[in-house]
Amino acid sequence: MFDLAFNDLNEILAMDGHGVYVWSVYSIAISIIVASFLIAKNRIKGAKRKIKIKNAPS
Amino acid sequence: MLIVGWVWGLLFAPQDAIQGNSYRIIFLHVPAVIYAELIYFFMALCALMHLVWRVKLAAYLIKSAAPIGAMITFVGLFSGSVWGIPTWGTWWQWDARITSTLILFIMYLGILTLHGSFSNLEKSDRLMSILVVIGVVNIPIIKKSVDWWSTLHQPASISVSGGSSIDPSMLYPLLISIIGLGFTLISLGILSSRSYILGREKNKKWVSEYV
Amino acid sequence: MLIMILVLTAFPLSIDISQFDLEKFYFSIIVVSLLMTSFLATEGMFEEDFEDGSLEQEFLVEQDFYKIVLSKIFVYVCFIGVPIALIGAIFSFANGVAIGSFMNVFFILSLSNLLLFNVFAFGNALSINKGAMLGVLTTLPLALPVIILLGTAIRSIQYEDGFLEISSLMIGLGFLISAIMPLIISTALKTHID
Repeated sequence: MFDLAFNDLNEILAMDGHGVYVWSVYSIAISIIVASFLIAKNRIKGAKRKIKIKNAPS
Repeated sequence: MLIVGWVWGLLFAPQDAIQGNSYRIIFLHVPAVIYAELIYFFMALCALMHLVWRVKLAAYLIKSAAPIGAMITFVGLFSGSVWGIPTWGTWWQWDARITSTLILFIMYLGILTLHGSFSNLEKSDRLMSILVVIGVVNIPIIKKSVDWWSTLHQPASISVSGGSSIDPSMLYPLLISIIGLGFTLISLGILSSRSYILGREKNKKWVSEYV
Repeated sequence: MLIMILVLTAFPLSIDISQFDLEKFYFSIIVVSLLMTSFLATEGMFEEDFEDGSLEQEFLVEQDFYKIVLSKIFVYVCFIGVPIALIGAIFSFANGVAIGSFMNVFFILSLSNLLLFNVFAFGNALSINKGAMLGVLTTLPLALPVIILLGTAIRSIQYEDGFLEISSLMIGLGFLISAIMPLIISTALKTHID
């Protein structure tokens, strides 16, 4: 069950001609998920900054 | 956990006898589609809570979950389309499951657009909740579309009641991917709702104290 | 109604197809034109009442919104929905449907219109004065089950199999939706006015 299904890196990338489909799907999905995390984090930062500026003694 | 599931599925799971290596998209596609529907169910529960008990937080959760739902439905649709190229010979087919998932994606967009259309946010919350509750009728249709209509899409390979049609060497990484993506989406949901609540409640005293 | 006639006549003319092909998929054209026409007919269902303040007035004098919405949908179905269904049935008759099936087609199209008008009225109540785009986005997914049912009913007419079952299901749904939807629509309208 835990044997590597491929012999070398080239086989992993090529996946018998299906590599372009598999890897493109995974890379785009990972990019979208990571981007969503970054956007959410940036929004929290931005919101906190705005609130701090608003509350700062003038 | 998601990484373990994907690495196991991509590198260690054996090749499928019919679909070859293209089946490895399953470890992304199936979890994505499962959560596309589950997130909508979660939103419907929150919408009911908001409409019945007027829980403000429930509306905030819907608003935070909707973009995540849209994003993961898009991932599900996209991965399905790409998987269709080597398997069916076409990237898009107007078949029952694909069309109904597209409709789910449109539903998410509709909810987000509806909420963004009104300047009065309390009003937006209520209207959005009404739409989410009514839209839940589509979920069983999406879920059962593969069984009800003749379609290119294969029936569900795994089921909650047991009896899956795939080999354990492929099933385990798939289950781990499903759980892993669940945790990933929950943490994304927490972050997203945190940012939304901060933005929405920015004039409240508790937010000033918290920041 | 004019739009329905326009779509039904323009489609076969715009693509050069034989009568044989037309008879095969004429129902699809009817379904699409029915969907389009009922959407366009209900586009401004509550908008005018909202803009001129009559909805607010009715709200202030504590009129029963449920009855108002119910009667409004009923009037729309009677004066727009049924004639559209009749046109659809006549066109299907002109394209090879047997005389015996004419009433079945008319009945199914009328029932679908009842369901579609309820769904689109809901979309109109949500989006009210925010344009058709929002209306489409919010209600198109809800119209999907109606289209599926209509498709199944039409197949049952074409193959003369299971018409009674599907029409009974649609009648039941028609009653259920006609009873519940006005309640939901009135809640949405009250939210706008509140």
